[in-house]
Amino acid sequence: MIISIDKKIFSEAVYIVTRFTERKNTTLPVLSSILIIAGDDGIKMRATNLEIGIDLKIEGECIVKGVVAIPAIILQQIATSLTYEGKINLEHIGDTISLISGTGKSLIKTIPYDDFPSIPFPENPKNRIILPGIILKNIFTSITSCASTSTIRPELASIYITIEGGILTATATDSFRLAEKKIPLSNKGTQGKFLIPAKNALDIAQALPDEDIIMSFDEHQCAFVSTGCMLVSRLTNAVYPDYRQIIPKESIVEAIVLRKDFENALKRTAIFSDSFQKVRINFDPKKKIFSFFARNIDIGESSETLSANISGSALDLSFNHRYLSAVLALTGAESLSLLAAGIGRPLIIKGVGDTSLLYLVSPMNQ
Amino acid sequence: MDKGNPRELWEYVLTQVELSVSPANFNTWFRNSFIVKIGEDGVLYVGVPSQFFKDWYLKKFHTLLLKIVRGISYEFRNIEYLIVKDERRKAQNEVKHIRSALELPLDEFYINKSDNLNPRYTFDTFVIGSFNNLAYVAAQAVLSRPGITYNPLFIYGDTGRGKTHLIQAIGNQFKKQYQGRKVFYLTSEKFTIDYTDSVQAGTANRFKDKYRQYDLLIMDDVQFLSKKTKTEEELFHLFNTLHDTNKQIIFSSDRAPVSIPDIAERLKGRLASGMTIDIGEPDIESRMAIVRKKAASHDLIFPDEIVEYVAAAMSGSIRELEGMVNTIICHAQVKGCIPNITEVRQSLRSFTRPQKNISVKSVVDKVASFYGIDEESIYEKTRRREVVRPRQIIMYILREDFNISYPTIGTKLGGRDHTTVIHSCEKIKREIIVDNELASEIQNIRTLLV
Repeated sequence: MIISIDKKIFSEAVYIVTRFTERKNTTLPVLSSILIIAGDDGIKMRATNLEIGIDLKIEGECIVKGVVAIPAIILQQIATSLTYEGKINLEHIGDTISLISGTGKSLIKTIPYDDFPSIPFPENPKNRIILPGIILKNIFTSITSCASTSTIRPELASIYITIEGGILTATATDSFRLAEKKIPLSNKGTQGKFLIPAKNALDIAQALPDEDIIMSFDEHQCAFVSTGCMLVSRLTNAVYPDYRQIIPKESIVEAIVLRKDFENALKRTAIFSDSFQKVRINFDPKKKIFSFFARNIDIGESSETLSANISGSALDLSFNHRYLSAVLALTGAESLSLLAAGIGRPLIIKGVGDTSLLYLVSPMNQ
Repeated sequence: MDKGNPRELWEYVLTQVELSVSPANFNTWFRNSFIVKIGEDGVLYVGVPSQFFKDWYLKKFHTLLLKIVRGISYEFRNIEYLIVKDERRKAQNEVKHIRSALELPLDEFYINKSDNLNPRYTFDTFVIGSFNNLAYVAAQAVLSRPGITYNPLFIYGDTGRGKTHLIQAIGNQFKKQYQGRKVFYLTSEKFTIDYTDSVQAGTANRFKDKYRQYDLLIMDDVQFLSKKTKTEEELFHLFNTLHDTNKQIIFSSDRAPVSIPDIAERLKGRLASGMTIDIGEPDIESRMAIVRKKAASHDLIFPDEIVEYVAAAMSGSIRELEGMVNTIICHAQVKGCIPNITEVRQSLRSFTRPQKNISVKSVVDKVASFYGIDEESIYEKTRRREVVRPRQIIMYILREDFNISYPTIGTKLGGRDHTTVIHSCEKIKREIIVDNELASEIQNIRTLLV
């Protein structure tokens, strides 16, 4: 195999594809390598760790066709160190591949590629929708932090995606808080739901292009296809809890605060939170004041008040401050709306003017 | 293996797959799979973690798996792959870990009351080697025409050579082949007790009738009948009755009929009247085969070096050989993996016999007193016949049993040349084959030396 690729394209491609290789010490060495295929339909890079898989088409000149598997880590280290403009040439000789870039030449031992698994791209998926890659990318990157990191309940370590009535809803929860994002779709016909492992979603988000992509899914896997790139992920085969039940239908008090005030006050109060990271919030509808309070026996205590538009009855609730601040990453709205349903019941946070987001956080015991 | 049990079936399939794919592939692709269910229409449903696995199974392993399951049974028509739920897979794995501790099956201790046979002894578990091939063939001949070909069949050999296994296997096979016919297995001691009891209770006639009804009578360890004159007589009559009505009789003993001491001549003659077969010492290959078979019956596969070590460490008795294998199996079960050769050596230390150490003088003493000659004369340079023979025997025993070097034997026995010693040993070795009397003399001397 002899190919010649632009250095910048090569580096970017390697950076994306490496995320799809097996990073742990694997039993099958070919899983931690990148498969480069130079064939009739151009140059492709492939990688899979049996959870997710990628097939990325890259621009370049194919002089002699061939297939080669190269350890991803080595390739990545080389790619990050490439600085010069120009091209990189890859030439496969025997069981080594030579990389010639500018004045340098490196020989890398290749890995037998016979064992490289086939990546199961769905052929005729029933469920397919077209949406801009950038939207999906944003959803995945923002919402994933709310999914559970533990693997004990695989469904909670996943993002739940439902498509119904032309709206795509993505939900993630770790049972302490829940984030739900909704986006409208251009084609309204498709319906369906699936659970994609959060870890996989994050990796896929990194590789998604900004342009329109086709998202298709069946019972066991989902695929994201754009002009130059195909991505697949295994799906979690489990039942997602019926989270709509825990969303309070009505609220007893609502506060609308400025995002900036909220952010700063929370940041300062959080310094004084105790080992449970507890921060108390108070709704005072009479004085139109929303306040934070935190006390740490070792450090001291702090309170912050911010003027707010509050309607309803007075209420005290305590939260883990991390869960409160997490909402800031989920919405760009200037004002936040906080809806409380009573003591011991979850608090809903929404961005004013941003209907796409619903963030729900459970209170701590008083 | 129970081919209806998905877990056992899958474990068997995995052992086969492991042989044909690389360890890396095996660990990657087969670690998280299992058989979900066995369909009634002969379709096996294999559960795999994801689409990746499903595709790869279909592409790479389908024919292999199909070949393996077809090898087990033609009932299996096809294999289908299912992507299973995450939780379900986890639960399965845990169950597997618990079950990996092996349990002793109860039927090992089970003995059938009506015929006294232990169903554990079958031809399936019987290892055939050059040492017992003749006995096996004779057993098969007996089974094909019971009561006619070889009647009685007399099998003898040292303890732990598999006599009991063979004769019980004949009984079990007979039961299977000729349903409705009666088999009975007993030891001569049981026969004696039965007889004395019946005499005591005054029911000797019932005793006679009881044994005369059987189509196949198997009596183990007949050498213990020696000196029990009345029981012998009873057996003699029983033998005549059964033999006359063409009922098969099988005996086993630790020595040939003629060598059983203190037993009535007429019975001796009858014992030897059919087919008399000796089970010799198992050769190393047979011992290795036995070790492998025994281990396999516990679903374990020992590495070759362990098999060789165990087979080499124990020469005579298969029973002790099985004891060694059992020790290793027990270790493997406790630890969860097969021990390596050093660990095996450690754990088998109790089995290896202490090196026999004996002074030349005591051998000379014993042999001289056995032949009733003066021990001084052994050391002298006399060539009298009554001295030369014992001297040669001493040399032979020192060489064969105690591995003393030829020159040392020479020096110890009055400064003889080592070639003289070699000649003597060779001579006895040659004669021992043709001269039964000499062989039995040496055997007797050996018992004195222990």
